[in-house]
Amino acid sequence: MSYEILTAKLFWKTAFKNKAVFLLTLFIGVLLVYAAYTGWSNFKTQNEIRTKYQAEARKDWLSNPDKHPHRMAHYGHFAFRPKAPLSVFDFGMESFFGSMIFLEAHKQNTVNFSEASFSTGMLRFGEISIAMILQVLLPLLIFFIGFGAIATERQNGTLKILLSQGLTWRSLILGKSLGIIAVVMTLFVPIVLTMIGLCFILQESDFSKDEIFRLFLIIVFYFIYLGIFCVVAVLISAVSKTSKTALTSLIGIWLFFTIILPRASQALGSSIYETPSKAKFTSAIHKDVLQFGDSHNPNDPYYKKLKDSLLAVYKVDSLKKLPFNYSGYQMREGEKISANIYNQHYDQLLNIYEKQNSFSKAMAFVNPFMAIKNISMALSSTDFASFTDFQKQAEKYRYHLAQEMNELQMKYISNDAEGSSGKKHILDKKHWEEVEEFEYKPSNISLVFKNELISFFAFAFWIVLLVFFSNKLSKTLKAI
Amino acid sequence: MTRLVFHNFIRSNSVKIGLLFLLLTGIISLFIGKQFLEKQKQNIIETDVYQKEQISRNVEFHKDDIGLLLYYLKFSLVNKTPEITGLSIGQRDVNASIKSVSILGLEGQKYDTELNNPYNLLLGNLDFSFVLIFLFPLVIIAFTFNIISEEKESGTWRIVSVQSKTSFKIILQLFLVRFLSILGVFLLIFFLAIPILNIPINASFWGFMGMSIGYILVWFGICFGVASLHKNSNFNAVILFSIWIFLIIILPATVNNYLVSTYPVPEALETTLQQRKGYHEKWDMDKKTTMDKFFAHYPQFKNFPKPENGFNWLWYYAMQQMGDDESAQYAKELQEKLEQRTMVSSNIARFIPTLHMQIQLNEIAKSGLKNQLNFLEATNKFHEKNRLYFYPKIFKSESVESENWKAFQIENFSDEKFSNSMGLYVPLLVFILFFGVFGWFNFNKNKGLV
Repeated sequence: MSYEILTAKLFWKTAFKNKAVFLLTLFIGVLLVYAAYTGWSNFKTQNEIRTKYQAEARKDWLSNPDKHPHRMAHYGHFAFRPKAPLSVFDFGMESFFGSMIFLEAHKQNTVNFSEASFSTGMLRFGEISIAMILQVLLPLLIFFIGFGAIATERQNGTLKILLSQGLTWRSLILGKSLGIIAVVMTLFVPIVLTMIGLCFILQESDFSKDEIFRLFLIIVFYFIYLGIFCVVAVLISAVSKTSKTALTSLIGIWLFFTIILPRASQALGSSIYETPSKAKFTSAIHKDVLQFGDSHNPNDPYYKKLKDSLLAVYKVDSLKKLPFNYSGYQMREGEKISANIYNQHYDQLLNIYEKQNSFSKAMAFVNPFMAIKNISMALSSTDFASFTDFQKQAEKYRYHLAQEMNELQMKYISNDAEGSSGKKHILDKKHWEEVEEFEYKPSNISLVFKNELISFFAFAFWIVLLVFFSNKLSKTLKAI
Repeated sequence: MTRLVFHNFIRSNSVKIGLLFLLLTGIISLFIGKQFLEKQKQNIIETDVYQKEQISRNVEFHKDDIGLLLYYLKFSLVNKTPEITGLSIGQRDVNASIKSVSILGLEGQKYDTELNNPYNLLLGNLDFSFVLIFLFPLVIIAFTFNIISEEKESGTWRIVSVQSKTSFKIILQLFLVRFLSILGVFLLIFFLAIPILNIPINASFWGFMGMSIGYILVWFGICFGVASLHKNSNFNAVILFSIWIFLIIILPATVNNYLVSTYPVPEALETTLQQRKGYHEKWDMDKKTTMDKFFAHYPQFKNFPKPENGFNWLWYYAMQQMGDDESAQYAKELQEKLEQRTMVSSNIARFIPTLHMQIQLNEIAKSGLKNQLNFLEATNKFHEKNRLYFYPKIFKSESVESENWKAFQIENFSDEKFSNSMGLYVPLLVFILFFGVFGWFNFNKNKGLV
């Protein structure tokens, strides 16, 4: 083992003697500080803005005077999507998610106002987050540091000497890899410490176990991710005749992993599985709802049957004599039907998205960058699953809000009421408080394991692959 | 001589691979652009069908109540996608190109989004602007990083420079050959775009081409400048690639972070909240207050009978109108904030050629934020036009049958104006000149080194 440590130590020393490496490391360090700062300040501002408007929306709701409950169902409420604490670390898809949704009766609205919708197009170059630096820039730094690890020794003729002195290829590869890892740790360790510090400051030590576990996994997986690149650098350097070939091959690999493959795989997915247009999506839902029953049509068989059965059960001859408000009852039925149908269609849409993304997810086996990207976003709650989780909670709230108003109407509003305007058929405003405020509950970490299983497997695959190649090359590599 | 240099260059396998790589990704990007354009067309067709369907169905159901009918009817405005958008899709995948709005309050409908898979948005389109801005420079770097250093390292440079009177001329020839082959590939892809995307040959087309060539020259300038330092190949590769990373990834992303944290847009949320309040609170107010405000906005409707007791459509639409009127100030602030963002980013972009390219190509291709803002403005006008057309009919309770509903087709907005101004090229020219002069100066100064 001491041979490996010795090689690693030697590598560490020479690496930092190189001015360029030192400057690059310093530069990335500065960038990290900027990333941490902007991530943190953006998190703070956005959440302050959203909390403020969430409270204002609630205040507006409560300040409504006595009125017909159906007016309140249309008054509706807003749900503002809070940014997850770990979004400071990895922005993920955050910028492409909307920040607020209007929740009203009969209608599922879109989540509007994403950062991307305010962007001039420069967003497409990416954002600087700590995660981005770890995913994109550190591997490149590793390649810049490591391309000569073995190739330079070969070029200088020192490789022959090393091997003739009894150093095995195995220890050489392992030692050089450890050396690069050690260099990278000078950046990685401070990053980890800053992250932990930031999280505690942000949460004012109100950090849940779930979040601590997430943070822990993030650290572990980034460590493995960077380790993979260190070994790749050494292996490519070992098989290259000159350091120049090693450098150009490594740059090629990096470009392929981080720039070309991700776009290409997603382009393939989205061109095979097409997203429906909004018009088509809405019209399909509409058609299904109408097919089920059309409450506007007085002769609609579904609602006619409903009426007749109600009259029979309550043994009355007119709807006005029912012991509850019929119009509220009918809306309750309608809401149930339309919400169900909407959810079915929405799930189908999500299914299409999932198919589009399947290429990028499977790509993790070819490209460790995709594996870490997916795991990191999921752990930071900035992935699509976290967004749909918010959307589903908001929709659930919307449904309950509408149904509560319908039930209030059934219970308290007379069947003589025509429409919801006027001051005659109204309800005491104390009922508005009975509706609980919307509060987003973050999803559990188990969801991450379920959604990102494939990425976890990809990591295991990469480890096995690199161990296999290191062993194989140890036996077949030549000194010249 | 130049011919010889060219033959020498083009024979190399790595050169063939490089050029083929650009050609292939370029052509793929054209088909991605084509698919995008077709999807847009399909969306328009589907929206058209849906609009007709919902109009005829609702007209059937609400034959005797034009006020109720117009509560349901939606009319669509399409932001026309010129063919050239296929080259630079820009923000068109984020922002909806179709707005379907009823004559109710606009602020509550205007910002509704399209159906989007955020993963697609995050990873971005593989459109031609990506190939041009991201990939062309890489191949330029690969072709030029060892242009002199390689010959020096293998010892052939001395022979070459001895044989020729001015080594600077040879250097220029070496660069010229590389430039011409890259330019050839670019022009090939670009002219293939004409039949594939059906792009009309107009000012936008030439503008796009002019800027692209300028951008390619910027990168040749950078490589020329670095080559003039007479360093070894490894150094050149690392430096040029670092410049690429800096201009493509780090600098734009840094500017983006700055913009996002300096110009947050709470106005959007404020507008939405205010429009809800502005409309809904009128249900609980005296009708007169609402009507006075409404008549102050539209004096032409003053003579319609004022609503007394109970529900009345004039009052209802006046309340809806108040949602817009009372949030107008915030909507204006929102628009101003977005205009400010556009201005700041295009000002900063002048100093960063990659950003400048992306923003200006989106501008030419009508796929940037400015186009979206123009479209929103057009949506305002479209909505107002529909409102003013239907208001008197509703207030007079005209019969539904008297209207020719088939006439309400989807309407188009086209943002045609494009001026091929010098502002597009100057930032690029400054870079080209700077690096050109820098390289020329160095090469001449360091003659001894050669």
